[in-house]
Amino acid sequence: MGSIRGKTAVVGVGEVPTGMYPERSFIDAAVSASEMAIKDAGIRKEDIDTVIPIVVVSNALDNANMICSWMVEELGLGRTAKSNFQVASGGSSSANALKTAAALVNAGLSKAVLVVHSDRLGTGLDLGMAITMFAKVSTSQEYEMPYGFSQLALAGLLQQRYMHDTGTTERQIAAVVETNRKWAALNPNSIFYKKPITIEKVLESPVISSPVRARTMNKLCDGASAFIVTSAERARDLTGQPAYILGLSSRCTHFTVTQQPDIFKAWSPAVDEAYEMAGIGPGNVDVAELYDAFPTFTLISTELTQLCGRGEAGKFFEEGHAAPGGKLPIQTNGAMMGQGHTGAGGGPALLVEAVRQIAGKAGERQVDNVRHVIVTGSGGVGMDFHMEVLGKEV
Amino acid sequence: MSEYKKPLPLITRTSKVFYDGCREGKLLYQHCRDCGEVIFFPKELCPNCMGRDLEWLESRGKGKIHTFTIAYAAAPPEFAEDQPYVLAIVEMDEGYRMMSNIVDCDFETITCEMPVEVVFDPVTPEVSLPKFKPVVRKK
Repeated sequence: MGSIRGKTAVVGVGEVPTGMYPERSFIDAAVSASEMAIKDAGIRKEDIDTVIPIVVVSNALDNANMICSWMVEELGLGRTAKSNFQVASGGSSSANALKTAAALVNAGLSKAVLVVHSDRLGTGLDLGMAITMFAKVSTSQEYEMPYGFSQLALAGLLQQRYMHDTGTTERQIAAVVETNRKWAALNPNSIFYKKPITIEKVLESPVISSPVRARTMNKLCDGASAFIVTSAERARDLTGQPAYILGLSSRCTHFTVTQQPDIFKAWSPAVDEAYEMAGIGPGNVDVAELYDAFPTFTLISTELTQLCGRGEAGKFFEEGHAAPGGKLPIQTNGAMMGQGHTGAGGGPALLVEAVRQIAGKAGERQVDNVRHVIVTGSGGVGMDFHMEVLGKEV
Repeated sequence: MSEYKKPLPLITRTSKVFYDGCREGKLLYQHCRDCGEVIFFPKELCPNCMGRDLEWLESRGKGKIHTFTIAYAAAPPEFAEDQPYVLAIVEMDEGYRMMSNIVDCDFETITCEMPVEVVFDPVTPEVSLPKFKPVVRKK
């Protein structure tokens, strides 16, 4: 794979608050997030020639309804857009959209690409529908569905084995939630803005699918976010501080969780390749935005990205190193545990936060002297792993 | 016996062979005659070498719990009455993994790596689901 190091950049980001908004249509939220990204980039909307919406989960009709062309129409790009298509790989959709956008720009096929996500997992479907739908995602109808699989059960299966392998304690798992909520408490776009939680409070919540507790589950929410990718050359003229795409790589390993290999062997090459392309190592990472859905995934990703040794991430979080003021801030928007689960939108939200941290626009959450941020993504039942390195300079 | 209300497996060309075996008390998996790959879930094509010469073998039905979870709440609606129940990934001695339920045991005693063996649950006249119960194994 050829290196695209430093040839493209994210130049603008937008995000509407995550929460419960029954009166807000998904397309209105998508348009608002796009409008913010366009203004943030300082770009004319007519310069956007490709629109890539990310998969909608909450409503099959909305998803089947050609939202790629719908966005072109809503934003009035009908005279200038060259292509529009959707990207769908669950929680790694934003990573794949970023990769696709960067490749199109680098190949000279697009000048500027708008990636947008919007979904209504909070109010677009009721809890029963959500449970039923998620019980059928990434599982085998022939060999698994008869046993009562669900995404919560998935979290239980992963956490159980992770704790068995590493000796990580329930308290350390709860410390991840506490950390997420500390960041979320500083994030006005989060459903948990100004609402921190203690480890004790997490541990006293009931067990739902052992060892997962009610407060180690993420909250389904409505949300929307958007970002714009263009060439590094154009980026310098557009905005005060582009976030240059320095490195990225990924591995896809399985469809159902029973077939999951040893992810530390299967996914680690992606991490090595992304660091190598970027020309940095884990010691150069200033902020990490790690895709989660559940706290165990945060710990696994902290270790996979080599920010901690194997089995050391729980202690790292418990000691507060990933929290505001810590030596290595992780998931500074609160991630899905702190900002809410908006379907495939957890990925773009992390990318948007990474760009804000680089541009110095993260408000109360802003980390000092941010030069390199890593972002990860994963879809389905941990079917793949993506890592991107964004930087302040090429 | 009341009507079975939980999801039944989708029966396809390959899964029919598997569930026909279960009805007879046999747990089947596949083996590629070309490259030796152990295959589960059953397939038409060997995912290792793309060979089509796949044979069905009978598993000894023994394995260990790779990981498990006890569903107390928020399970899919059809399983609500069964809560709490144990969902597990079982690592079979032949080297493949399958999802199943752990039955006939005290939930408190379940651990990762616990040895288990297959039991067949005849949920309908056509479908017997392979499930697992703990076993004490001699070294």
